[in-house]
Amino acid sequence: MSGSAAGSSALGDPAVRESVRIGGEPPATVAARRWRRWRLPVIVAGLLAVSVMFAALIQPDLSSEPLAVDNPGDDGARAVAQVLGRQGVHITATHDLGTAVARATAGTTLAVVTTSALDGAALVELARTEADLVVIDADDDALRALTDHALINTWEQTGASRDAGCQDPDAVAAGTVSGAAYSVLALDERATVCFGASTPKVGAYAVTTQNGRTVRVLADSTVLVNSHVAEAGNAALALRALGKHEQLTWFLPRPASYDQVQGAGGENMGAFFPPGAGPVLAWLGLVLVVVAVWRGRALGRVVTEPLPVTVRAAETTVGRARLYRRARSRGHAAASLRAAAARRTAARLGLPRSADAPAIITALAAATGRGTDEVADLLYGPPPTDDVALRALARALDQLESEVHRT
Amino acid sequence: MALSWRAAALAGLGVVPVLLVPVYAVVIGWALLVLLVVVVDLALASSPRDVVVRRVVPASVRLTQPARSTLVVTNEGHRRLRAVVRDAWQPSAGATDNRHTVSLPGGESVRLVTPLLPTRRGDRLADRVTVRAFGPMRLAARQKSADVPGRLRVLPEFASRRHLPSRLARLREMDGRTAVQIRGAGTEFDSLREYVIGDDVRSIDWRATARRSEVVVRTWRPERDRRVLIVLDTSRTSAARIGDLPRIDASIEAALLLSALASHAGDRVDLIAHDRRVRAQVAGMSGPRLMPSLAETLAPVEPALVETDWPAAITAIRQRLSQRALVVLLTTLDPAAVGSGLLPAVGPLAHDHTVVLASVADPEVAALARRRASASEVYDAAAAERTEIERAAVLMRLQRRGVEVVDALPEDLAPRLADTYLALKAAGRL
Repeated sequence: MSGSAAGSSALGDPAVRESVRIGGEPPATVAARRWRRWRLPVIVAGLLAVSVMFAALIQPDLSSEPLAVDNPGDDGARAVAQVLGRQGVHITATHDLGTAVARATAGTTLAVVTTSALDGAALVELARTEADLVVIDADDDALRALTDHALINTWEQTGASRDAGCQDPDAVAAGTVSGAAYSVLALDERATVCFGASTPKVGAYAVTTQNGRTVRVLADSTVLVNSHVAEAGNAALALRALGKHEQLTWFLPRPASYDQVQGAGGENMGAFFPPGAGPVLAWLGLVLVVVAVWRGRALGRVVTEPLPVTVRAAETTVGRARLYRRARSRGHAAASLRAAAARRTAARLGLPRSADAPAIITALAAATGRGTDEVADLLYGPPPTDDVALRALARALDQLESEVHRT
Repeated sequence: MALSWRAAALAGLGVVPVLLVPVYAVVIGWALLVLLVVVVDLALASSPRDVVVRRVVPASVRLTQPARSTLVVTNEGHRRLRAVVRDAWQPSAGATDNRHTVSLPGGESVRLVTPLLPTRRGDRLADRVTVRAFGPMRLAARQKSADVPGRLRVLPEFASRRHLPSRLARLREMDGRTAVQIRGAGTEFDSLREYVIGDDVRSIDWRATARRSEVVVRTWRPERDRRVLIVLDTSRTSAARIGDLPRIDASIEAALLLSALASHAGDRVDLIAHDRRVRAQVAGMSGPRLMPSLAETLAPVEPALVETDWPAAITAIRQRLSQRALVVLLTTLDPAAVGSGLLPAVGPLAHDHTVVLASVADPEVAALARRRASASEVYDAAAAERTEIERAAVLMRLQRRGVEVVDALPEDLAPRLADTYLALKAAGRL
């Protein structure tokens, strides 16, 4: 048979093709090829490293920690620190109590900025130092320890700005300050309280002595943060209070847990995980990486199928049905159904294709035993007014056709 | 670079020291150990660049029949090649078992056979060959891919050849070559023979009977050496999918069955595939060379998304025909396509030749026309009826121009076209 003959002869001669070396060229040129291939990533990585180092050199270390001297944000103290630096004050910022105490020798200024992170022992150590103190945002424990119980925190409802209202030369020079909400209350006559709103014993700034050195208390750090330091006499007060000596130590205590959180995450998580969970997690990470490389490398690329564009042939018909439906074109739909039914029944009854409507009606009425009016209404009646009528018409036409078929 | 499950297992073994001494140093140490072992294994692996591959593929295979793609892999390096070789083909080539594990000493070769079972007609192309060469510990591998060209021509299935024996039997009846000598159909005088009971009395040759003492009948046979030209329309309408296959595949089946039948009947069969221009043609082939040549020519024919240029097609038909012939147009009764292109041009052609238009009907339209379940289905039915009415109108206009139309479902088209051919031959209209 022709078919099998075609198959056998076609299967006969195999097409033998040229040999191909995997990878394209012999191993001799591999080194050069490898360099060509890795050249770009290596150069890009090198450029990246150099630019990162360069950026680190020209960009000073900035932080976002509130009241830090290297924080240029609204809640930082970089403005004050820079002006002080320009005036010849050398600022050393530290988070470490030991460093702060070691540098707080006589003839220097130690600014203790926020004290909530300091415990009793730390406060005792600070109280023993000989440097002039500037205490900013202190809590009651710190005030008691660093002012010998001369001051205590209080709250005073005030307007936007306060006048000095005292004899302290720094306060008088500043004139007014604004933005301060917290105040301190003098418990006895040892402290000079300034910038009070009502009584002379309550104010945002106080000066006293302790352990033979001057202690200045700034009850509200708002006065010296970047966003408010330029208002009223805030700058004058801050600069005068902090700039008494050439050496200023800016001590910003951190909570006890801070270093642990930053340093070794595992120890802080110790509350939630059993001991040794950190190394096990790291080991799991190692396994994950190896498994990812193992599963992630495909054995060659994915091959796609070049498909011809094949549209369903009935697509145009379905599209036309959708048009009928969207336009609610019952007239057209009914006309199609009636024409098809008339065509089929006429063919079945042996009528010529050219038969006109009356001839078809007469023949159908005779074949089905229905009245001519009924048949005429079914095949040539008015279009249905709603979808229910359309369905009814479709069923009636089917019925009519089945009756013709029966005869 | 690629890792194996062994590398993952080695990393996983680290759980023992990490649980014994849960400190980070152990984890880092284990990671370095894994890295070291992987690097050593990589360094000891043979290079995929030392592998030379040659592919042997059969030139062609019939659709749905299995074939084999053979890779001859040669290790030209000195180290043993422990590798996985992937012989990638496009999905419709049906290369199922295409990953081969190889362990090959330096300088030796091996043949890797990938079974293919194509699922689509046309040229199936091989993709890359990928070699993943493992080190002696089989932890890590070096991997390379290379294009190793290969092409398997998948011939049309010719599923309709199961209809051929019955049609050939009817052809022999017409020829008068059956065991029971009946009066053959046709118009060409064949011979005289003795009357046997059952013969049509109208075929009695009274003049010959008068000369002899017995009743003699004339036998007839169909004409031979007529020309059949099959025109395969490869335009956009042939791309439309009916069931799972494009319309052109049903047309090709019909063309193959008709060609096989006509060549057995002694007619000369030519074929052209045409849309805007002649895409493929078979001319002057006869006897046993016809069917292979047709299969080879039709295998890579794919529908083009253009409109058929019927005037150009009819010019091409006329150039190939000198005497009266049977012209079979394998296209569609799409009202728009026929109305705008074919109808005006086919009239003169039908005058000079016998023209048969074979169209693949869509069972889905018929199914749509019977739907009544909801209002929206009635709209579907109405649209389907409208399509049918338009097709009927086109069919009538074609018939009025003298064109025979065969409109059948995909699986029926080939036998129906063969029957039409036999009917035309019996009627002497070729």
